[in-house]
Amino acid sequence: MKQLTIAAVKTSKALLEKMGRGGSFPGSIALKLDKDILKKIDINGPVILVTGTNGKTSTANMIADLMEQAGYRTVTNRKGDNLQAGVITALLSNTGLNGKLKADAAVLEVDELNIRHILPKLPVTALVVNNFFRDQLDRAREMEQLIESIEKVLPDFQGTLILNGNDPNVYRLKDKAPKAKTVTFGLDRHKGSTETSAEASEGKFCPRCGHKLEYEYYQYSHIGKFHCPSCGFATPELDINAKPDVDANTFTVDGHMYKSPYQGLYSMYNCAAVLAVAKEENIQPEVAEKVFAHAPQPSGRNETFRTRNGRTILNLIKNPTGANEVMKVIEQDKSPKQIAIVLNDHEQDGRDVSWIYDTHFEKLMDETTTGIWCSGTRSGDMALRIKNGGWKGDIHVVPSLEEAVKKAMDAGDNLYVISTYTALVPSRAAIKKEGQA
Amino acid sequence: MKAAWLYHDIMDLYGDTGNMLVLKNRCEARGIPFELDRIGIGDKADFKDYDLIFLGGGADKEQMSIIPDLLSRKENIKEAMEAGTFVLLICGGYQLFGQYYEAADKEKIPGLGFYAFHTDTGKEGSRCIGNVVVDAQMEGKKIRLVGFENHGGQTVNVTHPMGTVVKGEGNAFGAGKEGFYDGHILGTYLHGPLLPKNPEVADLVILKAMQKKNPSFGWDDLKPLDDSLEKLARNQVFEKLGLEAEK
Repeated sequence: MKQLTIAAVKTSKALLEKMGRGGSFPGSIALKLDKDILKKIDINGPVILVTGTNGKTSTANMIADLMEQAGYRTVTNRKGDNLQAGVITALLSNTGLNGKLKADAAVLEVDELNIRHILPKLPVTALVVNNFFRDQLDRAREMEQLIESIEKVLPDFQGTLILNGNDPNVYRLKDKAPKAKTVTFGLDRHKGSTETSAEASEGKFCPRCGHKLEYEYYQYSHIGKFHCPSCGFATPELDINAKPDVDANTFTVDGHMYKSPYQGLYSMYNCAAVLAVAKEENIQPEVAEKVFAHAPQPSGRNETFRTRNGRTILNLIKNPTGANEVMKVIEQDKSPKQIAIVLNDHEQDGRDVSWIYDTHFEKLMDETTTGIWCSGTRSGDMALRIKNGGWKGDIHVVPSLEEAVKKAMDAGDNLYVISTYTALVPSRAAIKKEGQA
Repeated sequence: MKAAWLYHDIMDLYGDTGNMLVLKNRCEARGIPFELDRIGIGDKADFKDYDLIFLGGGADKEQMSIIPDLLSRKENIKEAMEAGTFVLLICGGYQLFGQYYEAADKEKIPGLGFYAFHTDTGKEGSRCIGNVVVDAQMEGKKIRLVGFENHGGQTVNVTHPMGTVVKGEGNAFGAGKEGFYDGHILGTYLHGPLLPKNPEVADLVILKAMQKKNPSFGWDDLKPLDDSLEKLARNQVFEKLGLEAEK
């Protein structure tokens, strides 16, 4: 049965690749044939799972590069197929018919709600958790239930928890894992740290005793140095404590300075997670440095195109916290610009669009913005959001994405395209097509 | 118009800021001054001073944290309602005006008990999730509401439902009825948020709130506004759900 399942995945993956597809479909077949197939793969070496709301793809990719650079032959689900079927596809297509994984390490990005299916079935050596934010509430359900679904599989976990010590909802996982070792990472106070936070905040109450949490400082959203005056639950002494220099986009850990591959504090958290893994696996700082230097720019993050109107910059938005970070970057650009926002409401975007009201689109509404275009399946909701935010200029509603991009480019200024998940690939295509001189 | 947004920092799970923005914009477009106070746990407030109380929804655990403070304000809220303060309640806020609600872990959380309805938890953690369309008749006006529901709670024994479900679930799985409306409170599971895509409901809330100081205030006192974007957004959802577009 095991051989048959592995063979089925290999065959269907080869077929699909010829058809230009891949992804999670072969894994779905494997699951139908044998729901416990993951338990039957013979793996020798580190198995590292990466989860959390924001940044798990970049983090998992950097950890996979780290392991590769350190000499491990590494299997990973690099394209971000992070549900159980995607993980199975990645592993089984690198497994021999004898059931042995043809690699020395596995680094797997896993959707938060799929940890409960995957962690108990693999010999996991480390679970890396970045952060928990409100994200597509209709799919992921309320954050609390999501965290509980992870906590339920921790009591028997004997590997290492690699946790963001600046996120109370991440650090609490340690309480439920008595057999595990815990390693923490985070960022030190810097000149941009604040003593109050006005952003959608998931860190109001102590997850241990329910008392109101206090913060010495916030880095962004509810991420920062916290403590509970009632029970003492607090940011621990961090194993990886990165000191940021935001202007230079560098950070220092244990006297070693690193260049962050991406803009923004949240990217430095991803790097700190990578360094925690490096420390745990005894990998030298120089290797991590090389990984950061060669990290590819992920698609949909300030992805910049030369287009007939000048420049067009594409950004993906998925939830208020990530979107607010995007708004902050656009706000810094004081040259005249057009803005196109593409809001879809398919399953992967989140069918509930109410999160746009927790996102500070007001940051885009200044005199340097020369026009706002709303597109996508919920262009109407987006237009209302802009109207209710107090925008006094014209609001153009153009459900057709190509037409919206074309007209926005016709205006002549640089263009920012802000897109939800399912509109990202079509947005890129529209920019390339309409952007030709 | 003076509005109190209760537990703005805790009961704000579903973009409720949008509801307040819409009330402010629609009041100011008609020359009605709009004043909003945010009232958190422990903040002093006399609700009799307000024309409107608004309470949104929160996650289970966070919702639990407001219960002692809310119950301590019970008499004051009751007095305010008797004096004509209108109350808008969404999701968790709606549940808390009934007898009790049962949290996901089966614990029964006491509500203010002003109404007979109560809320049980969904079987095996099931939740009503999706787009909703409801037909209602309020203050002499036929209103079609559109929104998004996402609730495990099953609200039963609702004596005055707000309207009839056209698409979606409503107060409970297969309930056929959605929300609660009796002229004093409007409770509903619809968010999205509720008011941006339902300008008639926003106007109803303004009307009811204005009637506190001026009982003769009527629909005709609300100058019509340009709601073409609102109509466009509504029709996108209707089309998606296979319903006829509005003209």
